[in-house]
Amino acid sequence: MNTGTCSFSSAPVIFRPPSQIRLFKTLTPYLSAFRRKDSSPSLLHDISPPSIFEQCSTISSHEEKVAPRPLWKAAIDFKWMLDNKEIVSANIRNRNSTANLELVIELYESFCSLQKEVERLRGERNIVSNKMKERLELSVRQALVEEGKKLKEALSALEDDLVVLIDKLQVEAQCIPNITHSDVPIGGEENSVVRNLVGKPPEFKFTTKDHVQLGKELDLFDFDSAAEVSGAKFCYLKNEAVLLEMALINWTISEVSKRGFTPLITPEIVRSSVFEKCGFQPRGENTQVYSIEGSDQCLIGTAEIPVGGIHMDSILPDSSLPLKYVAYSHCFRTEAGAAGSATRGLYRVHQFSKVEMFVFCRPEESDLYHEELVGIEEELFTSLGLHFKTLDMATGDLGAPAYRKFDVEAWMPGLGRYGEVSSASNCTDYQSRRLGIRYRPTPSNYAPTSSKKAKGEASPPTQFVHTLNATACAVPRMIICLLENFQQEDGSVIIPEPLRPFMGSLGAISPKPKRW
Amino acid sequence: MNTGTGSFSSASVICRPPSQIRLFKILTPYLSAFRRKDSSPSLLHAISPPSISEQCSTISSHEEKVAPRPFWKAAIDFKWMLDNKEIVSANIRNRNSTANLELVIELYESFCSIQKEVERLRGERNTVSNKMKERLEPSVRQALVEEGKKLKEALSALEDDLVVLINKLQVEAQCIPNISHSDVPIGGEENSVVRNLVGKPPEFKFTTKDHVQLGKELDLFDFDSAAEVSGAKFCYLKNEAVLLEMALINWTISEVSKRGFTPLITPEIVRSSVVEKCGFQPRGENTQVYSIEGSDQCLIGTAEIPVGGIHMDSILPDSSLPLKYVAYSHCFRTEAGAAGSATRGLYRVHQFSKVEMFVFCRPEESDLYHEELVGIEEELFTSLGLHFKTLDMATGDLGAPAYRKFDVEAWMPGLGRYGEVSSASNCTDYQSRRLGIRYRPTPSNSPPTSSKKAKGGASPPTQFVHTLNATACAVPRMIICLLENFQQEDGSVIIPEPLRPFMGSLGAISPKPKRR
Repeated sequence: MNTGTCSFSSAPVIFRPPSQIRLFKTLTPYLSAFRRKDSSPSLLHDISPPSIFEQCSTISSHEEKVAPRPLWKAAIDFKWMLDNKEIVSANIRNRNSTANLELVIELYESFCSLQKEVERLRGERNIVSNKMKERLELSVRQALVEEGKKLKEALSALEDDLVVLIDKLQVEAQCIPNITHSDVPIGGEENSVVRNLVGKPPEFKFTTKDHVQLGKELDLFDFDSAAEVSGAKFCYLKNEAVLLEMALINWTISEVSKRGFTPLITPEIVRSSVFEKCGFQPRGENTQVYSIEGSDQCLIGTAEIPVGGIHMDSILPDSSLPLKYVAYSHCFRTEAGAAGSATRGLYRVHQFSKVEMFVFCRPEESDLYHEELVGIEEELFTSLGLHFKTLDMATGDLGAPAYRKFDVEAWMPGLGRYGEVSSASNCTDYQSRRLGIRYRPTPSNYAPTSSKKAKGEASPPTQFVHTLNATACAVPRMIICLLENFQQEDGSVIIPEPLRPFMGSLGAISPKPKRW
Repeated sequence: MNTGTGSFSSASVICRPPSQIRLFKILTPYLSAFRRKDSSPSLLHAISPPSISEQCSTISSHEEKVAPRPFWKAAIDFKWMLDNKEIVSANIRNRNSTANLELVIELYESFCSIQKEVERLRGERNTVSNKMKERLEPSVRQALVEEGKKLKEALSALEDDLVVLINKLQVEAQCIPNISHSDVPIGGEENSVVRNLVGKPPEFKFTTKDHVQLGKELDLFDFDSAAEVSGAKFCYLKNEAVLLEMALINWTISEVSKRGFTPLITPEIVRSSVVEKCGFQPRGENTQVYSIEGSDQCLIGTAEIPVGGIHMDSILPDSSLPLKYVAYSHCFRTEAGAAGSATRGLYRVHQFSKVEMFVFCRPEESDLYHEELVGIEEELFTSLGLHFKTLDMATGDLGAPAYRKFDVEAWMPGLGRYGEVSSASNCTDYQSRRLGIRYRPTPSNSPPTSSKKAKGGASPPTQFVHTLNATACAVPRMIICLLENFQQEDGSVIIPEPLRPFMGSLGAISPKPKRR
């Protein structure tokens, strides 16, 4: 018996049927790779797999192949994937994903066989232990004790293997992107389809300035001091820019909460597991995420993360849905690798304020709320008097969690083109299967209870909710639009009517006399 | 010749007068401790001392005594310290500082001697090189070449020693706290003197709730979800709490900017050197500062840091002073070691919003602006209808940068005592000597120039400005005060008049019907 590795104890081999042996040969590189003591801090609140590695003394030579070990599990619907291989595989292709469906299927099938074998052994062990309860000859009892011992050892080893296999399956399966709405155009960003076009570019009878120039003349930003104090691409907002930011946030929260959204101000330091569960990669070379030293926490890049997490590991009552939130937070992004034309001034900064909408809803309603979210975005930008277009983004431009994404791009005279100002995504159950957010559909006679995190009541089976997120106001991009589109020949900038009540009735930002 | 160490090159020893040898014996532990390659990243913009350590191959056995090496230099007035030993020494005692004045003086005197010696050697070297320009006998020239070589080596070794000595001097001298205003009461916090008392505690004819209970019943906070998503002592603000935070920030900025303060929104990620220059310790076991992984940046604990830094390494024109700022930022604190009674609910959280006032002014005016700042605080809290007292804090409660500190403590019914809601400090030139912020007094006939970072113009000598900082609104503490003081028997909370225009004319927060 030669499996090519010393990481399995010899006892369980006795019980393995020939088919299993082949299977373990395939898996050995993965399994043995995980047979090492995991040194990650276990600060996590999520259920970690039991630490089976401590008993292994030999570090495998496969260590260089070690994949990151998942510290939590996504409730991925493997049966559906298996039944819809072609759809999943075409989707992976369309979205330029590097996910390996074949490997996932192979691992899943191994998992099923192994689990079956574990169940068979458990059955045998139970038979033996039941037999032991009878009155028995000493020699018969001795034989049963021996058999029971062997079964126990075999089972223990197989269960260990199962844990390792589940980890590997999770790592690979978590790479598979969400499926895509049938209307989403297939291809790269250039294949995105315009859904809506509002207004037209303003006509200027004078030479326009970009927001950097306007900000300098109106004393609204200080990039130079920020570069000294913090680093490149940081900024102080100054004078009316402060009032403008506050007004944009206030007005947006006010408008969106009128439409039934609950206002939130969120934590900006979040456990990295919550990032992962929302479909973001908090670690790695090209991560956009700032990590906190000496902890397992990160700075959020969007309020989508703490809002998605607010109902983590919960079963929501049907009557509570939809849950709609409008959340204000500061956002922090490393912008690693972000070079190019549109990086001047406020367009791409490490820290900015954003108001984000987020919806938890029943699966059958998510398309509807997606339309509502993009509708709210369009209403807000229209009220501000901006010229913009709304796009149904092509498959190649979708992040892994998105089933469909509508971007709004507004006209930016300084850039001389449209620039992204918002994005609305329907993530269906991609995030909820990771965050563990379910709801319990109510039968008509079932009285609603406020049972957050209640478990195992005798009620209809739970389902995963759908989640959607959409930008209500990304402040720096809005400031760019307002300054550049509403600039006047005299160097002033007109404030749009809706914002004026939120900035002490100020109607325009005018050049100030220099003090020094 | 035995200096007890092998870390000095023998060449330099030749030229040292006997007194220097004794001196080097004292210094050897410090000097040799620094003779190793410093592996810290040099991302810093501050002037770093030239790397002299690379030529040393032997790692000293004194390494365990290594003190942190400063990357920047405070312009400390050593001559004044030397002339006022008794004052400085009494001040260190009064403020329970661990600073070692004797060591600082010893190091400073050594520094002066070595510098003198360096200058003497430079003179000799110049004499030799001047002689070399003459026509000389080959043997004389050879002797001069030898002498020049020896002098060069000696000088180079001494200059290296000087760099090491300066570093050590900086490390020790930076520990010395600012001197204290003559009116500051001497002793621990309990010796602080009440300057002002406004209002009286509200009388309730019903059993009051604390803010945690009120927040729960009015659905204003979510500590439980924040604990899962982020960790303990994080919080989501919800519903009217969001409006209340926004109103507090808006109203405060509006009120303070009316008084001539320039509004700012600041970066919240700053270089750790700026944190140090403001007198905070960004590293070490009990630091309150979150650090960013893989960089030399930190999260700010107060806007005092980025506002202090906004004029770093500048010479401000006299006409620009005073510069008054009112800055809004989120603040992040690890609260390491913060246990005790007043840690419930919002009192001590890792992330909160704050509006901070900051003044750069001429030295002779800082006492005046200190009074102005505490006056503004008192006006704001009076407008909100709070009962509070203002304290002149005793020496034992002053941080190293403060010359004098006025705290405002407001009545918090939930705590059943006064809780700190603001703090106004005059830091005189403590921060400006570290941040390098000077001004150039204008002679009456010299026109003001807008010369930021201008250097070496022919004008009066520059002086360090004074800096002052004061809390205008620490949002969570204000929310505690408002909820607990203005609660009603029916469970609602009355909003103070001044805030209503900033929250859509809302007059009270009332219990909502439960949706689920």
